Amino acid sequence: MFRLTATAIALAFFLPLVVGIAGSVVPAFGLMPSIAQGNGFEQLFNDPRFLPSIWLSLKTGITATVIALLVTIATLVCAHGTRLWRFLIACLPPLLAVPHAALAVGLIFLIAPSGWLVRLISPELTGWSRPPTAWVVPDSGGWSLILGLVIKETPFLLLTAAAQLSTLKVDAALRIGRTLGYAPARCWSRLILPRLYPRIRLTLLIVLAFNLSVVDVAILLGPGNPPTFSVFLLSIVNDPGSRAVASAGALLLAAGVAAVYCVVFLLEKTISAIAHARRESGQRGKAMQSLRTFGQSLIAGIQIISIASLILLLLWSFTRRWRFPNTLPTEWTLNHWTSRSVEFASPLFTTLSIALMTLVLALVAAIAWLECERRGTVPQIDWLWYVPLLIPQVTLLFGWQAVALLTGADGKWLTVVYSHWVYALPYVVLLLAVAWRELDPNWNNAAAVLGAGYWRTLFRVRIPLLIKPVSQAAAVALAVSVAQYLPTLLLGAGRHQTLAIELVTSFSGVDRRIIATLATMQSLLPLLAFCAALWLPRLVHKQRT
Amino acid sequence: MNNLTVESLQLTLPDGSRLCQDLSFSIEPGRVLALMGPSGSGKSTILSWITGTIDPHIKASGEVWLGKTRLTDLPAEKRNLGLMLQQDYLFPHMSVGENLKFGLRGGSKKQREQTVEQSLEQAGLGGMAGRDPGTLSGGQRARVSLLRTLLSEPNALLLDEPFSRLDVNLREQIRKFTWERAKHLPTLLVTHDIADIPAHATRVDLAHSTPAQQQVQPETMHIEQAGH
Repeated sequence: MFRLTATAIALAFFLPLVVGIAGSVVPAFGLMPSIAQGNGFEQLFNDPRFLPSIWLSLKTGITATVIALLVTIATLVCAHGTRLWRFLIACLPPLLAVPHAALAVGLIFLIAPSGWLVRLISPELTGWSRPPTAWVVPDSGGWSLILGLVIKETPFLLLTAAAQLSTLKVDAALRIGRTLGYAPARCWSRLILPRLYPRIRLTLLIVLAFNLSVVDVAILLGPGNPPTFSVFLLSIVNDPGSRAVASAGALLLAAGVAAVYCVVFLLEKTISAIAHARRESGQRGKAMQSLRTFGQSLIAGIQIISIASLILLLLWSFTRRWRFPNTLPTEWTLNHWTSRSVEFASPLFTTLSIALMTLVLALVAAIAWLECERRGTVPQIDWLWYVPLLIPQVTLLFGWQAVALLTGADGKWLTVVYSHWVYALPYVVLLLAVAWRELDPNWNNAAAVLGAGYWRTLFRVRIPLLIKPVSQAAAVALAVSVAQYLPTLLLGAGRHQTLAIELVTSFSGVDRRIIATLATMQSLLPLLAFCAALWLPRLVHKQRT
Repeated sequence: MNNLTVESLQLTLPDGSRLCQDLSFSIEPGRVLALMGPSGSGKSTILSWITGTIDPHIKASGEVWLGKTRLTDLPAEKRNLGLMLQQDYLFPHMSVGENLKFGLRGGSKKQREQTVEQSLEQAGLGGMAGRDPGTLSGGQRARVSLLRTLLSEPNALLLDEPFSRLDVNLREQIRKFTWERAKHLPTLLVTHDIADIPAHATRVDLAHSTPAQQQVQPETMHIEQAGH
């Protein structure tokens, strides 16, 4: 039974990856005439939008990733062990749960010419009584997009790194390094980072793939002419005459991302060789308080921007009147939440139904897989779960859409759930794996000698003991599903209007207050899920009388 | 070499309980002071304070001197005190030789390599510079760890239960190795095992000492601590 279960999960998870790639390859070469004609590559290279959009994607994706990595390193070096560090570790997970698109909308409310930053200093310091025209958001250089990606991806990298620090015995290494005469930053660069980097490499590559191919954030924060490459491809994929071009572009994007991975590996080798040579020099370095303060202020700045963006979403959702340059609304209302509740009920229900089903299926599959692993039916293959996150979403989804169109599966609720499941499962498995593997096997033995069978032990002993990671994994699954834009858009065929779809598609044409309400609603779902994840273990383990 | 002197050290935990009160001592080069006491009596915390790596939540007052140099406000990396902990903490991403070079101060590349080779030879570990620390035995790791500390040319040696994780058979060998190499340094040893303490050392039991007992003053040492 376990072998069969493991095979079914592996097939359900990995088959879509093969199908996704194949579904992009075949139309790209004009081999699927029912949905795509002609050689897509030839048409793509002749398209004047091709080069500018790919350049913009490379620029924004790589710059945002490099900045996120540098800020992560600066935070580790400058803030680890301080009060700021403890604050960050406490408040990063809820921020991480906020969907990208919602945070992007909040960021626009913050940095736009009519945004809160300008209002804060106007008209006293600027003299502006109308929004300035010196800049626009989104800007043509892609800097708003870069900022949006940095504030969302830095916490992800930082939390991944923080989770690894305990296994590296950082405090002891720093202590030894410092008593040997090395400045704290030098201890980090010579003792900690060389061991930490290999452990966060995969996360970094996931961030890189995401930044290079993101769609929803790029629509909201990226320039429109040219747009990023993924947005350009999305704009043509549903045009029957351009399907081959879109598929060719999706393949090219995957190849481009793979090429960037190669560059990362080459850079790693080079930096490692240089670091190795410098490590042997014995130079101790100097402690620089000003740099430490600078490093701490970088992450503090990112946190402030994130929190301010979320607060602005909330403020706008209760605003009746908020004229420029007022710092706060002059009139408040509950109308956007009450009178539009019927309008919002449908996307909210659709989002929740898809997310809850995704959550259940991902939890069942993850627990089943880890049980198979525990019984030795399957090996530990953690890195394989990262594969869908390492391939640009556009590449896989164009392929899935092509196959769904051919098989008539497009627009089906279950097809959408399936696509969300593929993106949620890796997080759920990887989150649960550590706790599952570390649980003392003697608990099983204790239950068995009391006469409990396999299922009773699983549901009455193992899962209750692991209820905390199980709840957290469930919350993550829900957060991942709520944030999915592209899978719902391409496989839902317009029949499943989730909050993510509503938010992105209506952004440019709808009142700012309505958008804020939608974004707040989208943010609240994962936040509530995380609150429930904190509460559930207490409920399960509450003192029994 | 100079005396390592601690004056009026007082450590208070965040909950207000005192770990030590008015502890004073001075250790001359070549002498060993052994701080004894059960777990939680503050032995390791005293060492952390001396090295400048104490948990910032613990309140500390007092002075630490090396000869005429006041170390109290210097950062850990400027104090030049060698520290050995229970675990050897050989850095796993460096070879044995690289670990030792990491401790070395200055010198050309060739000189540094020669120094490392010579040190390994003298410690009975010749030819092991290229080895992965993970492939060494417990005794070999302990020796490399001590060599790394000594190659950084510390002005005093602080040992925090450095033998406790070693195999019983190895302990005597490593103790001998350590005391031979530390003979020119003022050494502060934290332990709960009497067998770790060399014959020429002075003992302070943090749990049971009274001010009267701590007035025992060997010719080279002065220890004082107010009662708990």
